[in-house]
Amino acid sequence: MESHAEVKVPIRLTTRDPTIELPQDAGVMLVQTSLRRPQLSSLVNSLLRPDANPIPFDILVNGQFLRTTIDEYLTKNGVSAETTLELEYTRALVPPLNVSSFEHDDWVSAVDVLSGGNVQSGQERILSASYDGLVRVWDMSGDVLATSQAPNNGGRVTSLKTARWISDKKIVAAGLDNTVRIYKYDEDTRTITTNLELFSHRWGVEDVAVHGPSNRILSASSDSTISLFSANAKENPAAPANLLPNSTAAANKRQKLSKPERTVPARGALSKLTGHTSPVSSVIFKPDDATVAYSASHDHCLKTWDLTTSACVDTRTTGHSLLSLTALPKLNLLATGTSARHITLIDPRASATQISVMTLRGHKNAAVSLDTDPNNENSLLSGSHDGTAQIWDVRAVRPSDVQGEGQVGESIYTIYRDSAGGKPVHAHGEGAKVFSVRWDIEVGILSAGEDKRVQINRQMGK
Amino acid sequence: NIDPESLLPKLPNPEDLKPFPTTCSAIFRGQEGRVRSVSFDPSGIFVASGGDDGYVRIWELLTGRQVWNVKLSDEEAVDSVKWRPDREASILAAASGESIYMIVPFSILSPDMEQASRDVLDAGWGYAASKPSTTTNSVTKEPPGKWSRPGTRLEAKGVLLQTMVRSTVKIINWHRKGDYFATVSPRGQSTAVAIHTLSKHLTQLPFRRLKGIAQTAQFHPSKAIFFVATRNTIRSYDLAKQELVKILQPGAKWISSIDVHPGGDNIIVGTYDKRLLWHDLDLSTKPYKTLRFHQEAIRAVRFHQGGLPLFADASDDGSLQVFHGKVVGDLMENATIVPLKVLKGHKVKSRLGVMDVDWHPREPWCVSAGADGTCRLWS
Ligand SMILES: [Mg+2]
Repeated sequence: MESHAEVKVPIRLTTRDPTIELPQDAGVMLVQTSLRRPQLSSLVNSLLRPDANPIPFDILVNGQFLRTTIDEYLTKNGVSAETTLELEYTRALVPPLNVSSFEHDDWVSAVDVLSGGNVQSGQERILSASYDGLVRVWDMSGDVLATSQAPNNGGRVTSLKTARWISDKKIVAAGLDNTVRIYKYDEDTRTITTNLELFSHRWGVEDVAVHGPSNRILSASSDSTISLFSANAKENPAAPANLLPNSTAAANKRQKLSKPERTVPARGALSKLTGHTSPVSSVIFKPDDATVAYSASHDHCLKTWDLTTSACVDTRTTGHSLLSLTALPKLNLLATGTSARHITLIDPRASATQISVMTLRGHKNAAVSLDTDPNNENSLLSGSHDGTAQIWDVRAVRPSDVQGEGQVGESIYTIYRDSAGGKPVHAHGEGAKVFSVRWDIEVGILSAGEDKRVQINRQMGK
Repeated sequence: NIDPESLLPKLPNPEDLKPFPTTCSAIFRGQEGRVRSVSFDPSGIFVASGGDDGYVRIWELLTGRQVWNVKLSDEEAVDSVKWRPDREASILAAASGESIYMIVPFSILSPDMEQASRDVLDAGWGYAASKPSTTTNSVTKEPPGKWSRPGTRLEAKGVLLQTMVRSTVKIINWHRKGDYFATVSPRGQSTAVAIHTLSKHLTQLPFRRLKGIAQTAQFHPSKAIFFVATRNTIRSYDLAKQELVKILQPGAKWISSIDVHPGGDNIIVGTYDKRLLWHDLDLSTKPYKTLRFHQEAIRAVRFHQGGLPLFADASDDGSLQVFHGKVVGDLMENATIVPLKVLKGHKVKSRLGVMDVDWHPREPWCVSAGADGTCRLWS
């Protein structure tokens, strides 16, 4: 019987990443079918940069990451060893290892990272928002540097749903009391002080987006509107009187009774974006043009907004409630997570004809938070109520059997909750739902959830 | 030879009837004892529940987070919670013992929404004051419903209005415009069924003599018609003419619940004798379809109210059954009914399973109330 080690298959190496193109085309090569990813990665390194430290590469064959020997791949997919295999190499997505957990007293609804720019390595700051109504700033050792004070909002629920860094000294957060708050963070005195309250929404705020250079903030609300604010108090108009917490007799009485008695400047919105018919779950600025925004709503629609005129310029209607949103700018795609347990990739440009370019399947519950890989424009991170965060690569896809679904893909890695022993939980995710994910170039993968923790996973070799 | 099966009309494949709920996507935990009743708020953001622990609770739908609660009674269960159908105000009705409470859960409302809701409840004080209680033969007749403020403890939580009737209230159902609501007190005999007018703080008893023990009652979705179910009969009445319109005979031993299709011409009936019956009011006084899927009693039935052809029932066997139920406007064509999915997850406790079910106002999602102390979101 012939030994598999001696069987050879013709391959051609390709890449879509111009930074790792081979200096000269290697043409068709014959390699042993017993090779796996590591040996092929070494082969690419020997052709690309034989004298430098090797870069770990992943190998894509027909939209699948090679996880077996070539021989096993050929057998499983019924491919002849005589056909020339197109092997696409990419910078490897390496499995995320668990690093640490930051424990809270209550559910953690949102997480964000301050890194890069003037922030020294190791001095990154983690921002978390909780259902207890407070925002906290943490250092990388997991110590709380500062905690905000509870707002005096006339006896209303204070649970927060979203929070972002505006700069190293400013934070924005919002939640179920409909109010968008700007906080001042002082690292020296270890304080977080509310210095502006923005009133515009009639139901809870689910998401905020920040454009630092212009100090602009967008807020997405369950009242089906989006509001545009400035982080500078004076630029905003007066607050609408009927939305102030002390505007009713009963609320005024409650507010006077509650402590501490503080006055925070109150303002209204620069403009309001109306057109959605159900709660707006998420909003983002267009990455290279802050005069454009995208929003995703429970009304199944993804909308494009011109912020200069407050007009909705495009609406894409999908089949499901949309619960999260992020942009893949290099690919001209938006990714939106649905209540139907998948992620849909949509080309928002007017020229696009398909509703969905790609559908990523694998979550067992709503996909409620999304972020992109800071190292790789093809890679995505999602957080779900199924108690997992998952990593996806838009190149690891194949054509779908379902009409209108575009390509379909499955996740590359799944991150489970450390609090659940790093194991899968029931699809309803009780006790382990993930509410927020962030992928930071320095810190790694952050996920926050019902287990009252921010979990940080960092990839090996990075 | 012709296979008789081939002559039967083919039912559509459930796969082609998507979307419908298939899995449990959130558990709402925190009640002590059985959950008796669930209700979606009109915006679809929150769910209210009531149960044996005497509490009314409000939950954030997708996360299952409890955002508000109040204890209405130390002794009595909360048997029914029903959100008032109005998106400009937010009022939750809840029944415990002989009282119906109107709740403005201000802690989850914006100030203007709180004010609008208070205004709706307060309008009736002025009306009641301007109309002194009627006297007959110089003897002040006891009114069928006493409207009052529930006291400082409850008012501080947003429970702003209490209506006391003469017997334990098991059912509350709103008229679509949100001014009238009907209550059913099965042991109330001549006062079993009451119709209340919120804007006038007024309670009326439309039926002096009711044949049988009232189980549930509901307004027609668009006409001035009122349905009352006793143990084995459903009667419809014209409220304007004050006359009986129709008597439906589902052939059931004991009706637990009914629901009227949003189109108004079809009714589903759940029974303690494990059957689900579909009545087409245009067709007959007998059921158009009898569905036997459950091993135990059916406690609740509910049509989707937001335009999807879905209905569901809840059973003491611990499961819910979801059906496709398509009603065609054409009088010649009958409804298409297809069983879609059995939803399992609730535990049976002391022979009680799922006590209630309600649909999201727009999405193909439902929430169930369990004797196991949990509510569940199915999507
Ligand atoms: Mg008909």
